[in-house]
Amino acid sequence: MSQMAVTFNQVSHYFDELRALNDLSFSLPGGKLMALLGHNGAGKSTLIKMILGLLDPCQGEVSVLGQTQNPASKAASTDIGYLPENISFYDKLTGHEVLSYFAALKGVSARAVAPLLEEFGLAYAQHKAVKGYSKGMKQRLGFAQAILARPRLLLLDEPTVGLDPQASQFIYHKLKQLTDQGCTAIVCTHELQLVEPQLDLALVLGRGKRLAFGTLDELVLNCGLGVHMAHPALAGLVATHPLLQSFYRDGDLICPVSQREVLMKYLTLECQLFDVKVTLPDLAQVYHAKMAQMQVMSELGLSLTSGEL
Amino acid sequence: MLTTVKRPNLQLIWVIATKEIKDSVRNRWVMVVFAIFWLLALCMTFAGSAVGGTLSLPSLSSVVASLTTISVFIIPLAAILLSYEAFVGEEEAGTLQLLLTYPVSKSQILAGKLLAHGGVLFTAIASSYGSSAAILLVFGRGESWGEILSAFALLIASSCVLAVIFILISYLVSLKSAEKARAVGSLLALWFALVLIYDLLLLLLLVADLGYASQWLVNLLILLNPTDLYRAINMLGASAPLGSLGLLAQYEWSLPLLLSTCVAWLVGLLYWTRRVFLKKLV
Repeated sequence: MSQMAVTFNQVSHYFDELRALNDLSFSLPGGKLMALLGHNGAGKSTLIKMILGLLDPCQGEVSVLGQTQNPASKAASTDIGYLPENISFYDKLTGHEVLSYFAALKGVSARAVAPLLEEFGLAYAQHKAVKGYSKGMKQRLGFAQAILARPRLLLLDEPTVGLDPQASQFIYHKLKQLTDQGCTAIVCTHELQLVEPQLDLALVLGRGKRLAFGTLDELVLNCGLGVHMAHPALAGLVATHPLLQSFYRDGDLICPVSQREVLMKYLTLECQLFDVKVTLPDLAQVYHAKMAQMQVMSELGLSLTSGEL
Repeated sequence: MLTTVKRPNLQLIWVIATKEIKDSVRNRWVMVVFAIFWLLALCMTFAGSAVGGTLSLPSLSSVVASLTTISVFIIPLAAILLSYEAFVGEEEAGTLQLLLTYPVSKSQILAGKLLAHGGVLFTAIASSYGSSAAILLVFGRGESWGEILSAFALLIASSCVLAVIFILISYLVSLKSAEKARAVGSLLALWFALVLIYDLLLLLLLVADLGYASQWLVNLLILLNPTDLYRAINMLGASAPLGSLGLLAQYEWSLPLLLSTCVAWLVGLLYWTRRVFLKKLV
């Protein structure tokens, strides 16, 4: 089992009366990409600030790269790269100057700046003021800043918001390269379709509480969402196979994830169907299901005090 | 694999200061500040006597008095313009939060910014007022070099302290403000109150009653306003007419006490600013 990059152990944080994080626990293994999801005000920013050592938990313990993290200790800060949401760098400085400044602060050799700008496709604009950069160029500059010291942990807050598909693809492509090299990444995003193909794990927060945590398969299983199975011959087979009738809806079979394997075996062995198209619920469906469950709990007056929904 | 080098504290402060200076130069504030100070110094030196109907170089005390009177308005304003967005600007841009994730402490960030903004104003003040001193040394009315140099050394030193005091006040407001516009608005209101209104109230108090209690209160009030302190220091230092402060017939404070109070202001503000920054959640 790989070493844990980030561990939250029963962490709570309060801003006066507001409970920003509530008894949150999870462990993120090294080298994985975790999507951090949740509605506005769910506690995502608080969680990120705790990982960065900008906020101290009121209760519990946060451990980052094997060290207990708090504002007083910045021991791991060269090992952590961070891209804040909507950052607007020093407009009057050039891209090269901005990156050189952050490199100097992190103790990275100035020689590393030019190759990094090249790697991020910004070499042609490195001597232009950042004011003249497009949104995509600024994000690439921000990303380059985040990986200046080749961090072991990368935190990206809404890295693709407002970017065109090509620029978003570039960001996730780079992210994939980094995680393949062993870097752990946490991506806080609302763009679920973009992050879904890349993620290893997802953490869904709601009102400061952990709503779900795990791989996409685990989340789907945990949500009780159905797997869609489609085949042109299904309509004809339903009449002769009573087992299929209980799953048949609108031309497809819809079954719980837990029964997927059994049903697939049945379709193959009993119905001789070998090319059934299986569609698992996507991240967006999981997310909306979790949010809906939270809403129902709230309307029923049930507090989210312990465990996952 | 990239090389990561452990940087000593002073080097990090210098990195921040260099970036701040570069940023200020590109924002043209530095040019504006330099232009104002040079224009002010040369006008007061060459054209100061024109007010009295002559076209000769004014006396040392007259130049110092003129420069002091105008500097009281200009130095705080220049300090505010240069530094009002030091923290709130970075917070709005998101770079302050990013900076705090780097291996650099809040004290180092504060020191770097102060070094840059203080350095810019020191260079502007020292070069412009120094040129006035040089003109008086060469073409002056026969005052000794010692008199001119000591009067200008005091003027430049106290001007720099006043500049740093207002830079720190700007930092405090910048740290406490949620947006740049609010910060600059609050600082201009503060400038207006300290530089204009405060003096008028002081005068009112003096004219209304010159009894012992009022005198004591006025002396105390001078210590409580850095701009009045600055004025008093330079008027006393150059034996110049005290202007509105001349009404202080029973002036009790000595120059060392005034200077010490000025330094106390600086140290107190530095401590307070650092404390506010350390406690600030970004």
